[in-house]
Amino acid sequence: MTDPVSTLVTPVSTLVTATGLEPALEPAGSSRAQNRKARKNAAKDPKRKITWDRVWAQRALLAMSVPLLMYQILFKYVPVYGWAIAFQHYKPGRGSIWNQKWVGLQNFHNLFTGVNGERFRRVVVNTMGQSVLTLIVGTFGAIVLALLLNEVKNLPFKRILQNITYMPHFLSWVIVASLASVALSLPSSGGFINQGLMSLHLVDHPVLFLTQPNYFWGIVAGTNLWKELGWNTILYLAAITAIDPGLYEAAEVDGAGRYRKMFSITLPSIRPTIVVLLIINSGWILSTNFELPYFLGNGLVSDKSETIDVFVLRYGYQLGNYSLAVVAGIFKTIVAVILVGSANLAAKRLNQETLV
Amino acid sequence: MSSTTVAKPLARRASRGGSPRRKWTVEQIIFTTLNTTFLLALAALMIYPLLNTLAISLNDGNDAVRGGIGIWPRVFSLQNYNVVFNMHTIYQAFFMSVLKTVVVVATNLFFTSMLAYALSRKEFIFRRSITLIFVLTMYFDAGLIPNYLLIKDLGMLNSFQAYWVPTIISAFNLIVLRTYMKSIPDEIIESARADGAGEFRTWWQIVMPLCKPALAVVGLFVAVGSWNSWLDTLLYNSGDPALSTLQYELQKLLASSMNAGMNSVAATGSAASGGQVTTPIALRSAITMVAAVPILFVYPFLQKHFVSGLTIGSVKG
Amino acid sequence: MKRDLRLGVLRGTGRRLTVAATAMALIALPACSPDNSADKNNSDTLNPSNPTTLSVWITTAQQAPAPDNKITKLLKDKLGVTLKYEIVTPDNEDQKIGVTLAGGQYPDLIGTGDLKQRFLEGGALLRLDDMLKTGAYPNLAAHVKDDIKKMSYSGDQVDKGLYIFPNYNRFYGDVTGGVYYGPAFWIQKRVLADAGYPDLSNMTLDRYFQLISDYKAKHPQTNGAPTVGFEILASKGREWGMTNPPALLAGSPNNGGVIVDSNNHASIYADKDIAKNFYKVINQQYSSGLVDPESFTLTLDQYTAKLATGTVLGMHDQGWDFGTATQSLQSAHKDEYTYVPLMPVYPGVKPWYQDRAVMNINQGFGVSVSSKQPKKALKFLDTMLSEEWQKTLSWGVAGEDYQVGADGVFSRTDQQRKNYKDVTWRASNRLDALLDMLPKHNGKFSDGNAYSPDDQPAEFYATLSDYDKNFMAKYGNKKTWTDFVNKAPQNPKYYPAWNIKLSDDANQVNQQLTDTSVQNLPKIIAGKPADFDKNWQAYVDAIHKVDVKVYEDAVNAGIKDRLANW
Repeated sequence: MTDPVSTLVTPVSTLVTATGLEPALEPAGSSRAQNRKARKNAAKDPKRKITWDRVWAQRALLAMSVPLLMYQILFKYVPVYGWAIAFQHYKPGRGSIWNQKWVGLQNFHNLFTGVNGERFRRVVVNTMGQSVLTLIVGTFGAIVLALLLNEVKNLPFKRILQNITYMPHFLSWVIVASLASVALSLPSSGGFINQGLMSLHLVDHPVLFLTQPNYFWGIVAGTNLWKELGWNTILYLAAITAIDPGLYEAAEVDGAGRYRKMFSITLPSIRPTIVVLLIINSGWILSTNFELPYFLGNGLVSDKSETIDVFVLRYGYQLGNYSLAVVAGIFKTIVAVILVGSANLAAKRLNQETLV
Repeated sequence: MSSTTVAKPLARRASRGGSPRRKWTVEQIIFTTLNTTFLLALAALMIYPLLNTLAISLNDGNDAVRGGIGIWPRVFSLQNYNVVFNMHTIYQAFFMSVLKTVVVVATNLFFTSMLAYALSRKEFIFRRSITLIFVLTMYFDAGLIPNYLLIKDLGMLNSFQAYWVPTIISAFNLIVLRTYMKSIPDEIIESARADGAGEFRTWWQIVMPLCKPALAVVGLFVAVGSWNSWLDTLLYNSGDPALSTLQYELQKLLASSMNAGMNSVAATGSAASGGQVTTPIALRSAITMVAAVPILFVYPFLQKHFVSGLTIGSVKG
Repeated sequence: MKRDLRLGVLRGTGRRLTVAATAMALIALPACSPDNSADKNNSDTLNPSNPTTLSVWITTAQQAPAPDNKITKLLKDKLGVTLKYEIVTPDNEDQKIGVTLAGGQYPDLIGTGDLKQRFLEGGALLRLDDMLKTGAYPNLAAHVKDDIKKMSYSGDQVDKGLYIFPNYNRFYGDVTGGVYYGPAFWIQKRVLADAGYPDLSNMTLDRYFQLISDYKAKHPQTNGAPTVGFEILASKGREWGMTNPPALLAGSPNNGGVIVDSNNHASIYADKDIAKNFYKVINQQYSSGLVDPESFTLTLDQYTAKLATGTVLGMHDQGWDFGTATQSLQSAHKDEYTYVPLMPVYPGVKPWYQDRAVMNINQGFGVSVSSKQPKKALKFLDTMLSEEWQKTLSWGVAGEDYQVGADGVFSRTDQQRKNYKDVTWRASNRLDALLDMLPKHNGKFSDGNAYSPDDQPAEFYATLSDYDKNFMAKYGNKKTWTDFVNKAPQNPKYYPAWNIKLSDDANQVNQQLTDTSVQNLPKIIAGKPADFDKNWQAYVDAIHKVDVKVYEDAVNAGIKDRLANW
């Protein structure tokens, strides 16, 4: 369960952050079936025998990993006993977690049925809608921008552009929500989007964007795009950097033009990056940032704006109902694991780079 | 399709997919113009709000409240920055933030890259299971209270350790580094082995230098995350003012100004007798600038590390 | 200084002079609390030879004092007390309270503003009744004597008794003050001026909107921006701007989401006719263009900006909420754009907008159970409640922060008033965070001065602008803004209903009701008048889906309990 109250940035806050700087393996040459088989065999061999000999032979690698594994278990897995709060009527201060009143599945009942339930279902749909839209738009935009930036020859200019495009990432969501609010308002209140639309004669009257529920998901995706686009391209650009320049030279010899190179070399080379990122982000579908819908939402659009984290804030933390917050967290985790697992499996079937 | 005119066999400069700079075709001119225009427009769109925030921060508070400021301050005033820098806690907090960020980045890079190296070795028997255990941690959180109790039981409350010990490994950064390391050609590793290097030597002396772009990226992510975080200060270290961080102090300053804003129409009638108080919106802008500017400068320093893919290509030749 | 005076006088002439001089010394230097109590080097006393460090938790938006703070120094010099602060802002308190209670280790003193009483019910605080009975804490005992039933905890999670000293509104003497901070339908002064300063008694909604629409017709633009007739306040956390007016229109004081009838029975009013009639009027005004269509999408900043540029003619809000805008207008000398409170009501009803300030029960300082020096902690609170220290904390140091007039009335120079508002100056010269939570000598001191400079009538008049003075004169020589609203009658015994501690289920229902209102009212207000009935019915149906009875029962139980015990 990610922290619902505003954090400026966490290391994993952005939905679409690139990973995996996997440069080109072999470019389009070997057949798919061959690859698959090769990979299967490679994977099988070392796993077949976990004998004492092998363990001893790999003791250095074990020394590098096992202590950190213990560390991770201590700091991440051990505290999971706290999920017991979901089955209690938790009131802080009564001594310890084991000194609470046990209520079984009542908290789950409270959250998933009745008035809360209706709202929670809507809230889950909103979260997914906003996340998926943001992810698609964000990934697409980041890749396009990385490709376009890659085409810039002038190195100082390219650097300056890069630096500018990631600046919005450092503004806090409170400010960004405030800016978005102003941008979408009436021309007389400083809404330049309406000003632009009207001067281009696309509309006769200013559009009150923030009163239309159906625009809200788009607004969230658009605002996310503006804020995180530059940041997301960092990793894609770094991945492009790692591409062997010899490939481009060879393509040049073959008479390939700009777009050919993009589609045959650059994109396939960063495909593993893209895929791994998508897999990771699929698990984060239910963990949107909480500030944007919270600050930008209002009564008129609340059917489409409220997300899980906003709901948990209002009905969990603000009411002192920690149990509810934990129940929502468990729900999110289960869904996340299912989604990531499916995505990973799909990637494997489609012969792409997988996460695990 | 390929352009008909330019077909130079070799590019003199190691350009990344663009055409060599000899003769400019019509297509190139059009594309470059459009591309540049688009990118400039995008940059303008992105930089405008930052300039706007800067302008508001340099604007008199009472005037800023009225809105409508563009990229220049309407009524220039340094009062907002005065308030921020006169906050007695700011210098200690800044120092603590820097220290925390440096320590967190150093420990993170060290341990994560070590683990990533181990997990990138295909022959490592526990590779998949360990990776799975780490990857899963990206998707669940035990909750505030159990985490707090753990820190408390380890005796790390109100201590500097609480800042870096719990956050040594991030699964996400682990994947980034692992994937990059996987791509290093086996020949390099083999030749190191042939020279008699053990795993630690290989990792430290061979693999790490080759991973500069990935380390730079991960370092950047970790630095930004650490610089911006204040929740750990709130939960674990709020009892010791010496351990407070910049973001936390700025957040408290902002809260106090919003509070003052609500009560500022003190019964002492008009503000003619006092214009010293600034308003939340202007103060918030100044706080944003102070919080963001230091970290904004980290990336340019790291940019030079993003150009070292050449080394990978060089082995093949 | 002080020493010279005393020595000079002792060497001086007569007894009368000595007495007079000593009296002056005592008045002029109230920070010197003479160490004259019957303290025999008792380790529970607070004096410089017995240094004490008290750890203090405070939930407040105020800043921690600077290291060079002069009051901090006074505390150390006079009482030997050093405070170690842990300050948590109200936004962060939910999380911090949760983990602190789970951890079980608390600072000596806890200053909590938590209406849910989590610290109290979590067993973090000490029951203080027995300690107070020992007579070692005279100021505190006097403070709680008359209202001990109200101030005590009466639930069932921990033993009944007194745990927390309310930090506001335990009044000593009369209440003074010039600015009205409560709810009202506000209107710009220029609108009233233009309408010839009409009589404001028997104000109705129709008359209110008539004034606004007349003026708007004459002045469709304000300084280049379109004039807004009425702004509905609906931004985050301030939904009460939209949901509370019906109760006030019906003559009920602010009881939150319920109206309590003459039989002391509470019921919600959101689905009743008094609400329906109000929203019908608003809906009509919206469709005739008087209400700002942006009302529901404005952030607080935008709302403030609209007020500060003078474009909004009227709104329903509470006086403390738009202080930033008022200050901005005043600093630009645009007093005619500032606001005056009006009290429209339904026919046949007397307005009850202004209520008597209620005590902040269960908000304030308590002593923690894990404290190793509870007696000293309590003694500290007691000492801070003495008049000398209250004057120091509230007004400052005489001669530096305020002057004592020949008649004993405190006043300030312009420079001192300026300092008072300067957030940086305050960090070095006031203990704002501590004072926020301390029990206070609200009302008047025994020498007639108001507790706070903000409430001192002389200060109010001295800084009123000419426009405002003129404006007030036109209205029959009213003296303060509070004269524009009703005189507050005695509060009912159980008042106010909004701070009754509710069960978790009732809390949740309350939240659900608020959310239902926030989601449906904008649709009703912004919808076509022809659809009003349909929209309203949908809203009422949504309300009835919520288990309102749980909420009403909890409130009624609370009222009964208060009637019995207070």
